[in-house]
Order: sequence, then C-alpha cells, then structure tokens
Amino acid sequence: MRSLAALLLVVILPAFPLTGAAHHSFAPYEPDVQITFSGVVTDFQWTNPHIYIEMDVADADGEVKHWLIECANTTILNRVGWKWNMIKAGDEIDVVVAPLRNGEPAALLKRVRLPDGTEFGNGGPAGPATIGFDGQPLPRGSR
Amino acid sequence: MSAPGIQRSVRRGAGIALAFCVTVCVTAPVYGQNADHGLTGSWERYPGQSAGLGSSANPPPPVNPAVGRIPDPPLKPEYLEPWRAEQAEIQRLTAEGLPPANNYSACIGDGMPAMMQGMFPMEILETPRQITIIQEAYNQVRRIYFDGELPAPEDAEPRFAGHSIGRWDGDTLVVETVGVKDYVLFRNVPHSSQMRIVERIHLLDEDTLENQVTITDPEFLTGPWTWTWAYRRWPDYRIQEYVCENNRYFRDPEQGYQRLRVE
Repeated sequence: MRSLAALLLVVILPAFPLTGAAHHSFAPYEPDVQITFSGVVTDFQWTNPHIYIEMDVADADGEVKHWLIECANTTILNRVGWKWNMIKAGDEIDVVVAPLRNGEPAALLKRVRLPDGTEFGNGGPAGPATIGFDGQPLPRGSR
Repeated sequence: MSAPGIQRSVRRGAGIALAFCVTVCVTAPVYGQNADHGLTGSWERYPGQSAGLGSSANPPPPVNPAVGRIPDPPLKPEYLEPWRAEQAEIQRLTAEGLPPANNYSACIGDGMPAMMQGMFPMEILETPRQITIIQEAYNQVRRIYFDGELPAPEDAEPRFAGHSIGRWDGDTLVVETVGVKDYVLFRNVPHSSQMRIVERIHLLDEDTLENQVTITDPEFLTGPWTWTWAYRRWPDYRIQEYVCENNRYFRDPEQGYQRLRVE
C-alpha cells in the first residue's frame, strides 16, 4: 500500500467562486490542498444528505488510520454514473481528497479509483481533482 | 365478528356510501380551474446549474441576462445594516473554513421561496384542482391550489412551503404564497407574517420556463424585492428520493459553526 506521507502534496488552486450557498458547505475542507492515498473500505454509506466512505489507511510504518471520506449526495452521483452498490466493504480503493482544515481524519472526495480501475469524480459542487493518483499535479485542461 | 357478519357489515357500508354519494356527490361543486398548460414534467434550473445534463434537445432561447441575478433585498435601513454585517461575517467565517450552521446543517429543507431556486431538478404536476411542485432536494413538496382562498397572513399556519393559491392570467400562472415560517429564510433576509410571495410563471417556449418572483413585506421591506429564475425541461429525468437520513453535520455548541461528526 502506498504511503500517505509520501504522497502528501500541496497544490495551489485558482480561487473558485463560492458555489455552496445552496448546499451543505464544503468550506471546512482545505481549499488548496489535495492528497491521495489508498486503503480498504470498511463501510460505504449510500445516504443523504451525503454519501460516506469509511476506510482504513496504512501509513509508511504500517500504522492504520481510519478515514471518513465525504462524497456528494445520492441524486447528484446517480446523475454522473455512480451506483449504490459500486463500492463494498473490503474493496481496496485509491482516492484523491481535500482533508479537513482542522486536522481530523476526514476528507472531501475529489476522485476515486475502484478495484477494477474505473474512476469517478464527485459531482460538480465538490470540485475537481487537481492531482492524479500518483500525486502529481494534473494539467488544467485534464481536470 | 364472523365472516358472514363482516360481509353483512361491508354490504351495509357500501349501501350507506352509495346513498351518501347520490345525495352529495352529484351536488358537490366541481372544481377544475386548472387545465393542462404544458408545465407537467421534470425541470432543472437554467442556465448554470452544475449538473447540466440531459436537458431538452431543442435549442434554448437566448438567456435573459437578468435571470438568476438576485439584487440585495430592499430592507428598511434599520434591518439593512445588520443584514449586510451578517452577510460579511458569514463570508469571512466561510473563507476561514468555519461556515455558520444553518437550516441545511440540521437537514432542514429550503422552504419558500428558496425551494424554487432549483438546487436539484424539480417536477411539476398539473392536475385539475392543483399544481404540485416537487423539489428533489429534501423531498420538498408544495401544492398550489386553484380553489379556495389564501388564509389571512396572521391566520396562516406557518409552514416551510407556506400556503399557495394559483390562477391563470392569460398564459401566465400567478401564484400567491403566504404563511412561511419565520426561520425559513432566503439569503438570511428576515421576514414577518405579512410577507407575501407572488410568482409569475410562464413558458418562454415549450421547454423553457421563467419564474418572476416578487416579495413584499411591509414590516421589513421598503418595496418589492424582485428577481427571475428560469428552468429548462429535462424530458426523461425521473425525480429521485432524498431523505436526510445520515446527517453528520452539527452546530458547534460554542462557536455556532457547521462541523462534521467524524467518529
């Protein structure tokens, strides 16, 4: 499993206008920092107001940390091709996320890669991934 | 009761119902002031919603540049300054990652008029006596009746969607709404029980709907507060279920901002 610390990468994003007025605010998440890591899903909650992935993530020393990954809601993600049963406990997945600013182990999903290699974004309001699963910045046009 | 007893009872009930209907059903007033005006179907906000999927294939009409632009409310001076200060504070805290908790943090839907902004797609159903609007977010429903009268504002039971009466003015659906709960706020603008919302809704073409919203409130506003929303038909979209069953947000008890329950 890839190390979380090794892939921690800071990317400066352009200033996006605040689009969250009509939704739950994503402001508690880092606006300019995205990280990528891999882990094992312990629970996939296909629920509203938002969907959550709970996963165990091992660091370089093998110490396992439990993360809560916040996704958009069921109706937005159904519209962009997600399916309620596409992630299961036990799946090893890769994610690109923006962590909470307050340091708690939760993060806003930007992109997920499933065991079969298929990838999904997290709908419009959550914003695009700015780094790839290799931790490298993505060119603007490919986001 | 034995089985034959139940059958006798059912027969007797049916007989009573028939007698009731002969005397009442034929004499009851028949409403039906709404006809099919082509509003039934799924709609999404237009232009500029994030999903932007699946709208009608027909070319959209030119965009009215005023659509979606909502001016600051014409609050009376004693309310305008506090409102501006609160807006600035919300913006400052949000930029710091500490957005103030609001109704959404408690999984409470928009109510009127915010539910007409089309956060998610909405469904309009035209039936003879009412028009029903279902906003996908929070499963919100409003019913616009064509019979009866609006309650007097001071007598109206406070609700999220308020109480709405509709009538057709030519090809424009005019909807009046009163009785919105006092903590159901649009853009954090305070209102009284005297708030009245008038919507003038009409089709620009068969797939484009415009809604001119006007809010009056003699207690808080110096004059009408008006803007226009528009919607685009989404022909094959089926409104989805949205129950707020897994709310991890909560109001920080000391600071009042929105937090996430992580554990």
